[in-house]
Amino acid sequence: MRKHLLALGAAIALSPCLMAQKIGVINSMSGPEAPIGENITNGIKLADEDLKKKGINIQLVWEDDTGKPQISMSAMEKLATRDNVVGVVGPYTSACSNAVAKLAEKYRVPLLIPAAAKEEITRQGLKHVFRMNAPADKYASSLIDAALALGKPKSIAFIYENTDFGTSTTKTAKDYVATKGIQVVADESYPKGAADYRSTLAKVKSKNPDLVFMVSYVADAILLMRQSKEVGLQPQAFLGAGAGFTTAEFAKEKAISENVISCTQWTSDVNWPGAKEFGARYKAKFGKEPTYHAACAYASMMIMAETARNSGGDRVKTRNALKAGKWNGVMGEVQFSDYEGFTNQNNHQMLVQQIIKGDYETVLPAKFATKKAIFPFPKWK
Amino acid sequence: MAVFLQSLISGVLIGGVYALIGIGLTLIFGVMRVVNFGHGDIMMVGMYLTYLLFTLMGVDPFVSVLISFPLMFLFGGFLQKVFINRVLNAVAQNQILLTIGLGLIMSNTVMLIFTSDYKILTTSYSSSTIQAGGGVSISTPLLISFLITAAITAALGWFLMKTDTGQAIRATAQDRDAAQLMGINVSRMSVIAFGLGAALAGTAGALISPTYYIFPQVGGTFTLKAFVITVLGGMGSVVGATLGGILIGVTESMSAVYISSGWKDVVVFVLFLLVLLFKPSGLMGKSRT
Repeated sequence: MRKHLLALGAAIALSPCLMAQKIGVINSMSGPEAPIGENITNGIKLADEDLKKKGINIQLVWEDDTGKPQISMSAMEKLATRDNVVGVVGPYTSACSNAVAKLAEKYRVPLLIPAAAKEEITRQGLKHVFRMNAPADKYASSLIDAALALGKPKSIAFIYENTDFGTSTTKTAKDYVATKGIQVVADESYPKGAADYRSTLAKVKSKNPDLVFMVSYVADAILLMRQSKEVGLQPQAFLGAGAGFTTAEFAKEKAISENVISCTQWTSDVNWPGAKEFGARYKAKFGKEPTYHAACAYASMMIMAETARNSGGDRVKTRNALKAGKWNGVMGEVQFSDYEGFTNQNNHQMLVQQIIKGDYETVLPAKFATKKAIFPFPKWK
Repeated sequence: MAVFLQSLISGVLIGGVYALIGIGLTLIFGVMRVVNFGHGDIMMVGMYLTYLLFTLMGVDPFVSVLISFPLMFLFGGFLQKVFINRVLNAVAQNQILLTIGLGLIMSNTVMLIFTSDYKILTTSYSSSTIQAGGGVSISTPLLISFLITAAITAALGWFLMKTDTGQAIRATAQDRDAAQLMGINVSRMSVIAFGLGAALAGTAGALISPTYYIFPQVGGTFTLKAFVITVLGGMGSVVGATLGGILIGVTESMSAVYISSGWKDVVVFVLFLLVLLFKPSGLMGKSRT
């Protein structure tokens, strides 16, 4: 009996060395951000399956931050000190990511953020913080670049909700168009939830802009486009930056959403290696179309797990390997580099998509495109 | 010029719907001297009723007014009989707390049932327009809802002026005690008035739903608008509320064009303050001293 116990004790003492390496996940699995968080969870689950197939046995430690920065911080403390994880993937929101980033630096734990947009996160010179997705300023610049690639717009009108999100995106866009010689002819912020945008849109129409750039959430995006049709606003292109123009609900409103151009981090029809298969597998397993968050999370977990395994579970080596490495997968080419004040930021190629026949189709950049862009915007029926 | 006409027309049309919400509030206040802080939430219930009728039974939002008007009338009557009636003689704070509480219960119940997701009604005419010449276009659903509003307002005017019940309601509004002494059943009048107020708010919700979106907290915005409209027009005055509604609609739309859409609420509230400053009883109100 004593012998058995000794053997058991030895097994328990030895097991950490034999056991799989641990990787932490911080995500918003409940709370208001949960609908998007679900995509990240599912993306990581698919990554876990694929890692097992490849013979990389890792143990995931899941932490739910409920969308609150203070909870994500305590989750990070726990992962870094008690669970002794090699690296962490997450959190989802910008607020949580920004809070956790500083802790990751403090504990020297490699942190790979899959899908938080706030620029500041990777602009603080943090050595242990990596980011997969393109930060917020890319949204504005890639849309305007797309318009410049398609035609020769000379003027632009901005219509955006007067929140932090709306004004900051528009400010970046305004700075960018100034460098491209496009004239701003209208600059209209609106209070979220107003019933009537017709007068604002009529005013914009009278300025006859070549481009109309809108920043709104779902419901307002639909109202704005409906009323644009009503007043007959007819630019060369409608550019939708931000959440409202990239949802299935918006695309469903065919009468008004057709031909609207928006941008995203990832689509399931892009020709990046494995992207189509990922989209199909996700849909088969979870019964829904994946959002770009799912692909970001999948790619982040694959990279983090492989790097951790190759580095033998050492945090310093993992960090250095992330910094030096280069990958190509569902998110296209990934490399964490330092540029324009960013550190360890993947200079991700944003995709420009257009709603064609009720579906989002990748139209730019040309080498990833599946369809040719429709430009200028056809006359309203 | 086209911009001016366009914004004038859309201001008047949306003002019509605002007026309908204001009339309901002013009617309730006139008869019971109760300020209904749950008015916007009653409107929200009307919106969800329209949404249900449309998605489950395919009833057109404008046709559904025929169903939602009586249903909302009963709902309002029920609220009055069970809750409001008990605080009629209480201090104003208690009445305010009660109506705010009822509003919260309504919006949270709806949130439990339907979740807080935005719902959008898409009808075949949701984004159709009528070209009025000179580059001015009129939204078809908004025009229809304005016409229905006008018809309802006219019918309400006729009801209040010509029928016995209408006269009894006006008498109750003028002087509750005297009306009671004249043999009017004032508590019944209160139920009818609250029922009518709720029905009008519900109708406004139904009329705006083809062009707007629906979510459980939508009421707050409209409660605030309804207040501005009724106070502007004179508390208790139906004509004042109609004028107030259209005035607010046009002001919002004009200031969005000639000042900035971000500032339109400021313009509305400045106008509101000016009216209160120079005519404290409101545009059509009689001062009670």
